[in-house]
Amino acid sequence: MIHVSHLTKYYGDYAAVRDVSFDVAAGQVVGFLGHNGAGKSTTMRILTGYLAPTSGSATIAGLDVFNDSVEVRRKVGYMPESCPLYTDMRVEEYLNFRAGIKGIHGGFRPMRVDFVLRRCWLTDVRRQIIGTLSKGYRQRVGLADSLLANPPVLILDEPTAGLDPTQIRSTRDLIRELGQEHTILLSTHILSEVEMTADSVIIIHQGQVALQSSIKDLQAQAGSQGKLLAVFDGHVDGQGVRDLETFGPTEAKAELDRTEIRIRTNDIAGATRKVLDEARTRGWTVREVRPERPTLEDLFVQITARA
Amino acid sequence: MLATLTLIRREFSAYFFSPIGYAVLFLFLIVMGCLFYLSVDELTAEDPYGISTSMEILVNNIAFWLIFAIIPPLLTMRLFAEERATGTIEMLLTAPLHDWQVVISKYLACYAFFLVMWLPTLLYLPVLLDWQVGTLKVGIDPGPVWTTYIGVALAGAMFLSIGMCVSSFVKSQMVAALISLVLGLVFLIFAFAEPLVASSGIGRQGVFFVSVPLHFARNFSRGLIDSRQLILYCSVTLFCIFLTIRSLESRRWR
Repeated sequence: MIHVSHLTKYYGDYAAVRDVSFDVAAGQVVGFLGHNGAGKSTTMRILTGYLAPTSGSATIAGLDVFNDSVEVRRKVGYMPESCPLYTDMRVEEYLNFRAGIKGIHGGFRPMRVDFVLRRCWLTDVRRQIIGTLSKGYRQRVGLADSLLANPPVLILDEPTAGLDPTQIRSTRDLIRELGQEHTILLSTHILSEVEMTADSVIIIHQGQVALQSSIKDLQAQAGSQGKLLAVFDGHVDGQGVRDLETFGPTEAKAELDRTEIRIRTNDIAGATRKVLDEARTRGWTVREVRPERPTLEDLFVQITARA
Repeated sequence: MLATLTLIRREFSAYFFSPIGYAVLFLFLIVMGCLFYLSVDELTAEDPYGISTSMEILVNNIAFWLIFAIIPPLLTMRLFAEERATGTIEMLLTAPLHDWQVVISKYLACYAFFLVMWLPTLLYLPVLLDWQVGTLKVGIDPGPVWTTYIGVALAGAMFLSIGMCVSSFVKSQMVAALISLVLGLVFLIFAFAEPLVASSGIGRQGVFFVSVPLHFARNFSRGLIDSRQLILYCSVTLFCIFLTIRSLESRRWR
């Protein structure tokens, strides 16, 4: 659905995006991850025809974003970062206006406006002036706007930035629901969000794609770096720790009142049994045994540090 | 087409969302009202005083040119500068609209407001033209009135296009207003300094070509339409609109 090849964008001498290539298949929800200034917004702006690339090309639904810019924009619902809106208009009035410039006319328009108002939980504030709305509501107005023309592709630039936890959760649910009907490219720097909403992830670092993989693969990768953490009361004898080493590289850390042992292994269940056996035979008091999996966050740090 | 109409409507109504539209209307009507009073006074004066054509005082007074210099920048400053400052320009330019559609819509909305602003002055006409209620005949030649209105409409188009062009280059409304005021003054100020800058020959010609108040004093308010002025107004307007479209496009290659 979205095809980007060798996209490069210079601002003066500064390369915001360097040789970025990726594909997004139809119906996928793709998280676009990166630090601030990694080039996420620039890439999205190029895709929506707001900026032109210095070199390289991109197509959406087979249409070139540069040559068929207006046609591409008909197929894309875009919500820019920080969601700028006309603060002097009422919510419904604004959506009507946006529907108008997106070419939705006649009896169809009130239907669509009504639909997006309900979809984004805006019905209570439809008569309110946008300037008086809280940030969360404004984000929803922006999202509602991007849905107006029912475009096959949604490009959302940090849709949950600056929201409170409940709003983040409801927005996330909405995005997941929308993902069933639309192809979504959403940028964020909150990893857990991608983990929960997206099918796959593109990590962009210093203007380059550092990783593109599905969330499942990434989680599998994270699982393969699993560790078992066991915590015991008081201090434990060294022989026991050496016994555990048969399972994998083990490190023991003695604290004031407890000992923490970490075993790196793929067989978490086996290691747990072994630890408990060891504890029983040696009379250690177990305080806690739990697997420690690296989060996506850890992977992200690893990947961006490597790149 | 419908998309363009939607945009024109939004831009036009935006003038009434902010105090600026009302402030401009107020300022304009106060000054025009005073000038109307003066006109009536002069038109009814005994010989050898008074004026010979009805719109003369209205457009040949320095107060009129003062507001004519100030009002277009006030109307145009927000067109693009505000959108740039608040970031809404990104929403606008990622909608399925061509850049020229955006520019034309904004210009037409602003021009429509300018024309609406002039509407109340039509109320002066029955008095200025000495309109007889019974016979519906005018007592004073109406020609100069129509030419003056045509002149105002075209000169206004020029000043507004200059303002819009400036607004598309800057981010601050204040800067947009000041720069367009200065650029607008180029077409106004020499008229009042004519004897100082050019007393004869080619210099005087040059000053006459660009000085809008002189066009009104010598042509429009006397019932004359001179093609040189029409060409000046129309070409500057088209050029500025063209430049504005280019300036919007420039975001893509900058």
